[in-house]
Amino acid sequence: MAHVIPAEAEIAALVGHQFPGGRYTIAHWENYLLTECTGAEPMPDDLAHPVALFHVPILGAGTSIAEMFALGQAESGVSIGIESYDWEFFHPLREEQPYDITGVITSAERKVEAKRTFDRIQFQFDLHDDAGAAVARTTVTWHYRRTTQ
Amino acid sequence: MTIETGHIIPAWDMPSVLPERMRTMAAILRDPYPVHWDRDVVEKMGLGRRTINQGPLGLSYMVNMLHQWTGYGSIRRLRMTFPLPVFEGDHVVARGTVTAVREDDGIPVADCDIWLDRDGVDRPLVGSATVDLSALDQA
Repeated sequence: MAHVIPAEAEIAALVGHQFPGGRYTIAHWENYLLTECTGAEPMPDDLAHPVALFHVPILGAGTSIAEMFALGQAESGVSIGIESYDWEFFHPLREEQPYDITGVITSAERKVEAKRTFDRIQFQFDLHDDAGAAVARTTVTWHYRRTTQ
Repeated sequence: MTIETGHIIPAWDMPSVLPERMRTMAAILRDPYPVHWDRDVVEKMGLGRRTINQGPLGLSYMVNMLHQWTGYGSIRRLRMTFPLPVFEGDHVVARGTVTAVREDDGIPVADCDIWLDRDGVDRPLVGSATVDLSALDQA
């Protein structure tokens, strides 16, 4: 299947794109199942498993993995590669605690290497509690691989 | 127990990555990527008939290792890269070593190299972490 590579300027123009933002509360059932998936026992004191810092910011900011794929005009899910996840915790995540979440695209650029072409897109999400204190920040960097021949 | 550079973090073992956990995870994450639940899709990619673990799940094994060592709520930062996929049925072990011990606003913290080891052959996940050592006895 032939794919049209988006214009480099279209990708660069993604910088500064802000997601709608919103609030997200990690439900007990959600944390229980998530923690079980990791192979760990449920944690005490309403603590949420830190792995929640993948999906909570994305969904709480009013977007989705599918929309993030689409924004970068991914050829398919298979064409996405993870460069890195950078997770900063200023306070532990907790169940049943509402978080205000914002998200923005901080970097988007075309990379042409000897054997591949891809667009490197970086998303940053911030979580704050009801008192306005920063709780966590996550930086997601994905590669949108392009078929060039 | 005094933690010093070079300290080996106690390993955390995942004897077999289970496909049913990937399916539950996909639902929680709202992850539409079929390689996590559809073996046919993985086979068409030329990667065999085993589903591919979500990146965050592999990262969670590192979290579990750090929790086992320094306690819940001790993780300050995780940076992770994903050089190779992890498949259902893989036996992986989270491992790490301390690269520096320092103070941050008066709190003892350790910087660490962390990775996922697959059968002692390769490292599908590689990264770094910073953890709060307050819960450990530093005497």
